[in-house]
Amino acid sequence: MSNPDWLERAALRAQSATWTLAHTFERYRQLEARTEAELARELGCTREALHWLCLCRKPEGPDFDTQVIAITERHEVDLRTLVDVIRHVEIVGALTRDTGVAEHPLQMAARDRVPGEKTNS
Amino acid sequence: MRFPSQAEEQALHERVLKKNESLASEDVFRVFMDPIIGVLRSNPGRTKDEAHDAACDVLLEYLEHPERYQAHRSRLSTYLMRAAAMQALDMYRSQVARERREREFGGVIELRATAPNESLEIIVEARHLVGRLEQAMQEKDQAVLGLILQGERSTHALAKAMNLPPQSEKDLRREVKRNRDRLMKILGRFGKEE
Repeated sequence: MSNPDWLERAALRAQSATWTLAHTFERYRQLEARTEAELARELGCTREALHWLCLCRKPEGPDFDTQVIAITERHEVDLRTLVDVIRHVEIVGALTRDTGVAEHPLQMAARDRVPGEKTNS
Repeated sequence: MRFPSQAEEQALHERVLKKNESLASEDVFRVFMDPIIGVLRSNPGRTKDEAHDAACDVLLEYLEHPERYQAHRSRLSTYLMRAAAMQALDMYRSQVARERREREFGGVIELRATAPNESLEIIVEARHLVGRLEQAMQEKDQAVLGLILQGERSTHALAKAMNLPPQSEKDLRREVKRNRDRLMKILGRFGKEE
């Protein structure tokens, strides 16, 4: 099935909504000086798949793992990279807030684990 | 493309309300974008991009605040469609207002602007004239002329600049007018000589 002609424009427009993955991807691209094509390549998907990803809600909260897995299963993107991108933007965002101090840095670090990955404990 | 059934809409809305399912927002776009765009495009004056933007903005707004939709009042598709129509109208009005502002601004610029070479010539000529005037006029008269050119109309302000002694209001006005006329005559003569 072909992609709709509004997809790219919608992905671009979604960047203004902070709860979207589009916003997260845009921040990541700014921070890491990546083009859209480069980001798609890192995630292991096409640009069209990246545009669909942009319309997703950014995974967060206690269901983070479930949400990330659902996204990667539907769009066949690299799970590790997706988690890294989200975490990177979250951490940089927390560190650069006006207060200069991350709100919950320890909690974020504790969640910084790839879903399904076994821990030593 | 058609809107989904009421049951499908409701199920999707419940997923969105939880805000813990990343793919629900993508599904909202998949399900609602095309039908909303179809309705908006039925207005012949609306472009494709305008319809896309209005539909997209409304879905983003809904996804950010899904609790604003009240299921007992209307179907989700009706709610979104109405919001999209309003959004498109707002965008159209903003565009018309912006075009009007730009047109008015353009008109003012067109009336007032001079060619770059002309404005340079005017500056050079004005400097030359000011120099000549300074030589031809006393310092006191220059100060008064400066005030007049700046639009000063107060009798007392001009009288002060003219160093006129205290006198009755009537005499002061006459004296100020006399001095003002004298300066205008000097200017007129100066203009003719130049």
